[in-house]
Amino acid sequence: MGAYLVRRFGLMLLTLFGISVIIFVMLRLVPGNIVDILFDSAGMVNPADKARIEAELGLDRSLPVQYATWIGGLLHGDLGFSYVSEKSAWDEIAPRIPVSARLAGTALLFAMAIGIPLGVISAVRQNTALDYLLRVMSLSGLSVPSFWLGLLVLMGFVALFGTMPIYTQSPRGLGEAVLLVLVPAATVGFRSSALIMRLTRSAMLEVLRQDYIRTAHAKGAWPRAVNYRHALRNAMLPVVTVIGMEAAFLAGGLIVTETVFNIPGLARFLVESIRNRDYPIVQNLVMLIAFLVVTINFTVDLLYAALDPRIRVGG
Amino acid sequence: MLHLFKRLAVLSRLARKYPLGAAGAVIMTLFVAAALLADAISPFSPLTTNPALSLARPGGLHLFGADVMGRDILSRILHGARISLAVGIFSTLIGGVFGVIIGIASGFIGGWFDLVVQRLTDILQALPVLVLALVMSAALGPSLPNTILAISIPLIPYVSRVIRANTLGLRELAFVEAAEATGMTRWRIAIRHILPNTLAPLIVISTAQLGSTILTEASLSFLGLGVPEPYPSWGRMLSDSAAEYMRTAPWLVIFPGLAISLAVFGTNMLGDALRDILDPRQRT
Amino acid sequence: MSRWATLSLAATLLVTSAAVAQTPKSGGIMRAWQRDSPGSASIHEEATYSTNFPFMGVFSNLVLYKQDVAQNSMDSIVPELATSWSWSADNKDLTFKTRAGVKWHDGKPFTANDVKCTFDKVRDLTPDKFRKNPRKAWYSNVRDITVQGDNEVTFHLERPQPALLALLASGYSPVYPCHASAQVQRTAPIGTGPFKFVSFKQNESITLARNPDYWKPGRPFLDGIEYTIVTNRSTAVLGFIAGKFDMTFPLEITPPILRDVHAQAPAAQCVTAPLNVSTNLIVNRDKPPFDNADVRRAMALTIDRKAFVAILSEGEADIGGTMLPGPEGVWGMSKEMLATMTGYGPDIAANRAQARKIMEGLGYGPNKMLKVKISTRNIATYRDPAVILIDHLKEIFIEGELDVVETSVWFAKLARKDYAAGLNLTGNAVDDPDQAFYENYSCGSERNVTGYCNKDLEKAFDAQSQETDPAKRKAMVWEIDRQLQNDIARPIILHDRKATCTGPALKGYTQMVNSVYNGYRFDELWLDR
Repeated sequence: MGAYLVRRFGLMLLTLFGISVIIFVMLRLVPGNIVDILFDSAGMVNPADKARIEAELGLDRSLPVQYATWIGGLLHGDLGFSYVSEKSAWDEIAPRIPVSARLAGTALLFAMAIGIPLGVISAVRQNTALDYLLRVMSLSGLSVPSFWLGLLVLMGFVALFGTMPIYTQSPRGLGEAVLLVLVPAATVGFRSSALIMRLTRSAMLEVLRQDYIRTAHAKGAWPRAVNYRHALRNAMLPVVTVIGMEAAFLAGGLIVTETVFNIPGLARFLVESIRNRDYPIVQNLVMLIAFLVVTINFTVDLLYAALDPRIRVGG
Repeated sequence: MLHLFKRLAVLSRLARKYPLGAAGAVIMTLFVAAALLADAISPFSPLTTNPALSLARPGGLHLFGADVMGRDILSRILHGARISLAVGIFSTLIGGVFGVIIGIASGFIGGWFDLVVQRLTDILQALPVLVLALVMSAALGPSLPNTILAISIPLIPYVSRVIRANTLGLRELAFVEAAEATGMTRWRIAIRHILPNTLAPLIVISTAQLGSTILTEASLSFLGLGVPEPYPSWGRMLSDSAAEYMRTAPWLVIFPGLAISLAVFGTNMLGDALRDILDPRQRT
Repeated sequence: MSRWATLSLAATLLVTSAAVAQTPKSGGIMRAWQRDSPGSASIHEEATYSTNFPFMGVFSNLVLYKQDVAQNSMDSIVPELATSWSWSADNKDLTFKTRAGVKWHDGKPFTANDVKCTFDKVRDLTPDKFRKNPRKAWYSNVRDITVQGDNEVTFHLERPQPALLALLASGYSPVYPCHASAQVQRTAPIGTGPFKFVSFKQNESITLARNPDYWKPGRPFLDGIEYTIVTNRSTAVLGFIAGKFDMTFPLEITPPILRDVHAQAPAAQCVTAPLNVSTNLIVNRDKPPFDNADVRRAMALTIDRKAFVAILSEGEADIGGTMLPGPEGVWGMSKEMLATMTGYGPDIAANRAQARKIMEGLGYGPNKMLKVKISTRNIATYRDPAVILIDHLKEIFIEGELDVVETSVWFAKLARKDYAAGLNLTGNAVDDPDQAFYENYSCGSERNVTGYCNKDLEKAFDAQSQETDPAKRKAMVWEIDRQLQNDIARPIILHDRKATCTGPALKGYTQMVNSVYNGYRFDELWLDR
């Protein structure tokens, strides 16, 4: 187990290193750098000034030097400066973390609250009309673009209540603040709930087919108790895995939803920073996302190894 | 003639057994037809502007209404099917071809090659697809081919993972071992035996990915980084109208979104059914 | 004068007089919608009113266009940090007496030397430099700036230029303190204005708070201003309708959205006005076949300006030359003169027939289309007219393909002259010919993206600039403008018009009608809540 841990940890670092190289190189391929963007807002370009600012920002140095500066700083906890706001990158990123985390957390809770029970029902009632209905619903959940869903929700809110939950400074009242989290979270979570429901259903079906459940039924145990107590518990492992992965991959859904609802979170900041060619922000944000994914993967693997004796630890 | 009847009989049996899949197939057929015949069936040109029709309501000659420049929405959606389908098919194809080559090679050659490929796959999979596609399309610049490329690259590791596992499974099988025993070269075994047996999982994963590539394109275009004007991309249509006319002309938001959802829904239903038919082990 | 123009002017006057009639109340935070995250807080370094709107309140100018007069003109300039000004007899020295006892937001005293520091920095003479300096050219005629004691400063000019005062009266010309670096002004600016800078969160918000030591006694009325950045216009307007904002971003409401606002928020006050931004066609004069003046002429002839106006602004926008047309614009030429210019005639069919003849003469026709990329920025206000332009070019055997250029590389591309034809937007910060002509049409100017260069006309630019008699100057300006259009220097398609809406509680805001850069000091604004 110890050796496995060490090896697994090593691979994790290797992956993060790879991501850092890829993101660094890709950003340098992007046409137009931050200085072009700066000049864009001035409506002109002055080559002499451009060169001066590039030197000021260290963009004139060779790529390996720039890369080493970034990684060296990162290892010391120094993320560099945002080119746009001229504040430290950490000061820009930190206040946005809780905003996105709250949204993602609520979305995940919502997804589980909907996805798991419906998945179980769908599996238990396999091939009934209800099952088909739920399956169509979950498929549509995976098909509807979340930004469109968000727009529809906004349009619906305005049609019904004449107002809507969008972020502005100092929201008035607790109700509005709660709405501001719940509505976007439900929009993002809808897709995850569909995914979780599908997986719960197939995991449940798998387990329901197995011998001990049949035995339990044969022994005359109350069917509902069998379904929930025995089957669900055993089906949870793959479901937990997916929930873990989904937590990290919610980033995709957050990007568009934060844009639609005007939420000042990390995901929208990433898009804006890519547009602004604000390398320090983009690099560090991407590393943060990759770090989350890799850590969750790692934890899920460990959980698996600990919980399921069938898994060979050597793998 | 008899042959045809037989085929139809098989199809109708399948459709009865997999009603959702059949519905998906119908939607997909309509979608492909719209894309191929867009020029013939569109009531208007998707690009011609007309001041008199600016923000025309749905109904009459313009079934889905017109956008701010008086361009017919139905015609733009029909032509938009081309963009979505082109992005969907080509990025799935590129992702699929490279994924298969890399997956088979990795599973078959093994050793250090496999190790390197596995690590690269890890790296590419450590980022959500949309994040990776976002950075890539920014790096490449907005255009149709670049969007396809930006979406297909994150796809490669997903395909190669599945194909590699499949290849490893096949290597253990009796007929491959038999072929090795008769002295067939590894490349011939790969092409004669492994590749054909890769088809089923490839079809399953490709249909599943087709829907998500369409969604990714729509999201990228919505964020302004995907397929640029004047191509009537559904995501782009949505992003412009969402910014301006969400309230005054909601049909500009509703119809393109419906088109995206329906197309993805079709591929998802078809994908589910194909998986059940071709790969019974993974049934849901 | 369009009917709407008359109405909106009348509305502006009404709003203004109504505001004067009530006694202003002090207190309250104004909440405003900000359309995007400005590049920085430093007005001198930016060239979009996305910076002026939230940050003009932090600063004071030497002189400023009077904030409650809708039309900027030489007659509406009032003193701010200056108490008076005077021209020397040869009209080459402009001397300001400056206000005593004014304090910067950090408590340090303001002196005339701060004025010198500011404009020397704009003229690129100080060691601490701006990152970008888009309006350096405005002061190219300034030979030197001298200070006499703490309360007097003189601008010495190479030649007489009455318009210098207009440039100094723009929202683009705040006075910065000597003791604050360019970097400080970009991130946490220090001024002498009615509001102090509190915070600027990228893509999120900007907050200003009342300056208790403001030099104008009893002002400002507001306790502070909160700007929320909302990039999606629909969402922002919904927020306004729902009462989350007291004010929309200025001149950002298009006609269809305006109808919605009227229907949903009848208490809101909305004023439609020109932005003094022109939508124009740019053609690269060095790139064949566009080096041929006839091809450029044909392109100008096929433009159906009325169709552009109808689609892009539901008929609201104005047709004019380089200078903003009247009644809002001070320097726009008469309708009669306008109709005589190339492509401005009412008979579009005849114009196009003439254009087709030109193209046929050059060997083009329905079977031999001239293929060209029409470059434009990846922003709706650029893309939409470009799509219409392509439609119109088709009429004269030119097959345009839209080349959408990412905003990040647009100006670099124009500067390299790496385009054949394109669609561009040009904004005028001050409704004055000096700014418009030198910036966009003088040989070698950074913003002269078409490379149009006419030495004779440049002499005419100088002549009108030195003219002190307004009537004579106007005649000279009309003549120059006409020649620019007939030379197809940069065919002006339209001057757009949009609306600003304010909520029922906000009082004392006047929408300026011939510039979007100058009207946001906000020291007279108050809330009736």
